[in-house]
Amino acid sequence: MHLPAASPPAPSRAAFAAASPRLNVADLSHAFVSADGERVPIFERLDFSVGSGEIVSIVGRSGAGKSTLFNLISGLLTPQAGRVSVGRREDGSHGRIAYMLQKDLLLPWRTILHNAVLGIELYRKVTRTDLERARTLLARYGLASVADAYPHALSGGMRQRVALTRTLLVEPTLVLLDEPFSALDYETRLALEDDVMALREQNGTSVVLVTHDIEEAIAVSDRVILLGGRPARIEDDIDVRLTTHGPRTAISAREAPEFRAFHARVWNGLRHHTIQHSGASA
Amino acid sequence: MSDVALSSSSGIRRRRRATRRTAARLGTGGAVAAIVIALVALWQVAVAYGWINGKLLGSPAGIWQAAVQGLDGGTLLSDTFVTLYETVLGLVAGSTLGIGLGLLLWFVPRMSGVAEGLSMILNSIPKIALGPLIVIWFGSDATSKIWLAGISTFAVAMISSCAAAREVDQDLLNLFRSFRAPPAMIFTKLIVPGALPWIFSTLRVNIGFALIGAVVGEYIASQAGLGHEVFVAGSLFDLNTVWLGIIVLTLMATVLGGIVQFTESKVISWKAQR
Repeated sequence: MHLPAASPPAPSRAAFAAASPRLNVADLSHAFVSADGERVPIFERLDFSVGSGEIVSIVGRSGAGKSTLFNLISGLLTPQAGRVSVGRREDGSHGRIAYMLQKDLLLPWRTILHNAVLGIELYRKVTRTDLERARTLLARYGLASVADAYPHALSGGMRQRVALTRTLLVEPTLVLLDEPFSALDYETRLALEDDVMALREQNGTSVVLVTHDIEEAIAVSDRVILLGGRPARIEDDIDVRLTTHGPRTAISAREAPEFRAFHARVWNGLRHHTIQHSGASA
Repeated sequence: MSDVALSSSSGIRRRRRATRRTAARLGTGGAVAAIVIALVALWQVAVAYGWINGKLLGSPAGIWQAAVQGLDGGTLLSDTFVTLYETVLGLVAGSTLGIGLGLLLWFVPRMSGVAEGLSMILNSIPKIALGPLIVIWFGSDATSKIWLAGISTFAVAMISSCAAAREVDQDLLNLFRSFRAPPAMIFTKLIVPGALPWIFSTLRVNIGFALIGAVVGEYIASQAGLGHEVFVAGSLFDLNTVWLGIIVLTLMATVLGGIVQFTESKVISWKAQR
């Protein structure tokens, strides 16, 4: 089906990804009921899947229903038609989705360490091993020295890394991100994009990134799914293959020769559908 | 790396700012004390020179005398204790019930509207007007004052804690739900700690309400307490004792407020230092 990115993953991953998707969205339709009782369709028959270790961005203009799709995938909303299913792990146990928003959602009354283990704490007792694991992961993100501090003492980028740690500690098979870095400065943002790309190398975690930032989507993703129209459909599903010098990073991806062409393709795709939409409603 | 360096230098800056803040606070406190002392001195001078009528207004020296008498074989200490006991018991009982009920209503959103409406009505009743009823029902001893103080604090506590629980950040709630947290866990780990700042500010407001409840209860019918002293002294035109009672009541409210504030700073130590 879809080939993974050219750079880091081995070719064998493609077959595996196709065999056991981490996320499968099948024939998904959803509508809101407006104040005057009218049914406003948001999606019409969305179909896509995300393979193991794959990074997929969902791009669309604001109002394209990105947040609704996010809520449907994360299970906060129940779809009216169609199915969202989370694939099992390699060992056959249940898969798990964890998400991260632009807001870090750290609890101000908890230390960084105890914020990090919140996800575990909410479904079972936190063990000493969990705390060790949390400290190790915090250390990997350069947060070892603030593990016992409170969130207000941290910068935006550090807080967002704590949120990422909290997300990863529940060992999700799929991490769902909604504009997670849009409030951060450019440098911090590139660093966190690298963190996201490192997820699959370290844990084989799949990532779905919902964003309106075309550049970010192309830099980090194996695939970019373009949502457009009203109700929204998948207008394009682009395999992003970049020739990078050395390993793919947030910076090397942006310097790849193909980057501009992908950018243009996504940009034109978004613009095309907006024009079509405004023409139709006129 | 640079984040760490940044945070330690901002720590130094914060400490420096704290020192400056302490100095400023001392300066402000000194100014307040100086003004109060000056006014009291002016009052005393005015009475001594006969500019104002010391019989009708009382005088600092007279208040001092009343205080010495009250302490030396008088009932000042026992009266203070009685009023303190009534106020604190009423405050704790009314606030605890109100806060507990208000927070627990989070579990039943359907009920919370009804309960809030009812407590709005309760809150609109001038509690003091209930005084005579309460005294008839519970007698003229401390029990009726505790009830008045409790009733005065209950509705406020319930309304504000109910609102605090309801106004929890929706995104945080979703995060907890995405981790599949059961409602009891959302309550203990999100709703209650999130409501703590509101609870403490309610407690601070309620100190005043509880004190008014207790003192007015004593005005209506009592054998002891600062309200009793003030009321009796007032009917005897002993204005110095009236002033003394008011001063002690003010001190009591200040000390209780300080205790709540201290507890708050210990419990909510996570709050950003500004």
